[in-house]
Amino acid sequence: MTGKNRLLDVRGLTVEIETRRGPAVIVDGIDLHVDKGETLGVVGESGCGKSLTMLSLMRLLPNKIRVAKGEAHFDGRDLQKMSNRELRKVRGGDIGFVFQDPVTSLNPVMRIGDQLAEPLIYHRGMNRKQARERAIELLRLVGIPGPEERIQAYPHELSGGMRQRVMIAIGLACEPKLLIADEPTTALDVTIQAQIVDLVKGLREKLGMSVVWITHDLALIAGLVDRVVVLYAGTVVEDAPVDALYASPRHPYTRGLLASIPKLSDAPASRLNSIGGTPPEPGRRPQGCPFAPRCPLAMDICRTHVPKLEPVSAAGSHRAACFAVEKALEAA
Amino acid sequence: MSTVQAQPAPLVEEAPVSLWRDAWYRLKRNRLAIFGLGVIILLAFVALFGPYLTPYDFLSQDLEARNQAPSLAHLFGTDDLGRDVFSRVVYGTRTAFVVAVVVTAIALVIGTVLGAVAGFFGNPFDRVIMWLTDVTMSVPNLLLVVVINASLKTPIAQWMEARYLETLNPFYRETVWIDFLLVFGSMALISWPPYARLVRAQVLSIRSRPYITAAQALGLSNRIILMRYVIPNALGPLIVAVSAGLGTAMVLESAFSFLGVGVNPPTPSWGNMISDGLRVWQHYPHLLAAPAAVLGLASVAFSFLGDGLNDALNPRGSK
Repeated sequence: MTGKNRLLDVRGLTVEIETRRGPAVIVDGIDLHVDKGETLGVVGESGCGKSLTMLSLMRLLPNKIRVAKGEAHFDGRDLQKMSNRELRKVRGGDIGFVFQDPVTSLNPVMRIGDQLAEPLIYHRGMNRKQARERAIELLRLVGIPGPEERIQAYPHELSGGMRQRVMIAIGLACEPKLLIADEPTTALDVTIQAQIVDLVKGLREKLGMSVVWITHDLALIAGLVDRVVVLYAGTVVEDAPVDALYASPRHPYTRGLLASIPKLSDAPASRLNSIGGTPPEPGRRPQGCPFAPRCPLAMDICRTHVPKLEPVSAAGSHRAACFAVEKALEAA
Repeated sequence: MSTVQAQPAPLVEEAPVSLWRDAWYRLKRNRLAIFGLGVIILLAFVALFGPYLTPYDFLSQDLEARNQAPSLAHLFGTDDLGRDVFSRVVYGTRTAFVVAVVVTAIALVIGTVLGAVAGFFGNPFDRVIMWLTDVTMSVPNLLLVVVINASLKTPIAQWMEARYLETLNPFYRETVWIDFLLVFGSMALISWPPYARLVRAQVLSIRSRPYITAAQALGLSNRIILMRYVIPNALGPLIVAVSAGLGTAMVLESAFSFLGVGVNPPTPSWGNMISDGLRVWQHYPHLLAAPAAVLGLASVAFSFLGDGLNDALNPRGSK
């Protein structure tokens, strides 16, 4: 399980939110890891803790939400124990972040060239002129035409797709070892989504970095990621190489997610598939498996005990947390 | 190795328009605001170059020509000592502007720093600073100015007198600037709380915006985030407040001088001229009308400009 190749290693990460009734667990003891050069997809419904997990790694959690326990080793160092000064060097320097909404994640009163230059000046010690040249280079890299003029533009002068490219360029500015992309395509048109996915794919190979791609869209990342971690209610329910996950999903939740993707072969008038119910609210988690109330295969044990993440394939690379794995196979 | 090709997406091909230029376009369409801006620029010009524009010194008395009605020789007439009222109003403009600009600048710096720290860093700074703001706002401003005048003015004047007798340095003979110092100090002391509150509210709302988290994710320091991400985004409402604040400070200076706790004669201020004019207005209405009209004009001009700026900088707020 451990290797020299491991870039990010998160163990038992637990995040809590303060409520009037006391702390409520949002992320419950997550284990996940990213190897060097690997692309990890983190999938789950809205509110299952995907974004919070990534923000908590960088200690960027909003007020009232905090990491209760757990470790997050990045390149051998625990991010949770670093001093603020060390952490600032990692943020933007070793770990680049691309946020969900390119409209609100860029500073509206700053030219995009200056926003690109900021991390270069801070982390790479460049002067304004060098940073400017590098900014032009970066904009060209992410496929923005006319970068020499574009660096003078303000965010509101660019389209959504262009802004997301700028966000990616900012995330990549210091050539990080890890790029965390938090649903970078949700705010974009389908055609632009594909462009962004291709762009990141190309850049990853060019720069040899690892990528964590957070999304709720299993179909979108099929061709992009190496491995997928499925989150439900703040726990990892399945962790598998991407092909294995699509070919034989083991957890009923993953099956539900995959079944929810509309296919062209579906009968035209058929209803869209969905998973009934909603994820549990923080503070109201069921006693056993968090998915049990919505699970078509739930057994008695599911309502009393929490299943552990266990290997379900011979190689051990495919793991699922479900008592009904065998039943799921039969049902398939 | 797949290469990354530029995939041209639709772009608006036009010269980049900055947010400020955008605001300027909107401001230009507002006639009242442009009128206000024109008046302010004119008054500022008069304040800067006043002494070169007036035919008389504001202090020179012509006892042969006292209380004259406006004429070509004396545009606004003369007062009871035969001084040219026009020259005095012009010099009063300078007084008003100096006081307004210096006081607003001091208040702005104090208010912005305190408000930004309170909003950005939260408790315990927030609690202490807001407490300080409330305390300051609860002090009646006129009372404070009177107290400062009554308690500080005489000791400073005496100390200056003593220093002069000791050193014979003419610097200590000049007591006009004590007025200014006291006026600046006391007015700045009561003028910063609105700025602090405004900036704090702005910062609180900006602090939770995604681009602040994005800036933190870039590893930028709090100081850079505050200076380059938070404060520039809070600037719009602040500019409006400053425009209104300048007008208020001018009126306040006149009010204090009117009551005799601001700038004192012989230094002309619109306020003390109005005060002098009020005693004889039935006989020589121009002595009251001239400074009052200019004060009114200045006050209205700042109001109009403030309104126009508000609409120009917050296009979504207006209809």
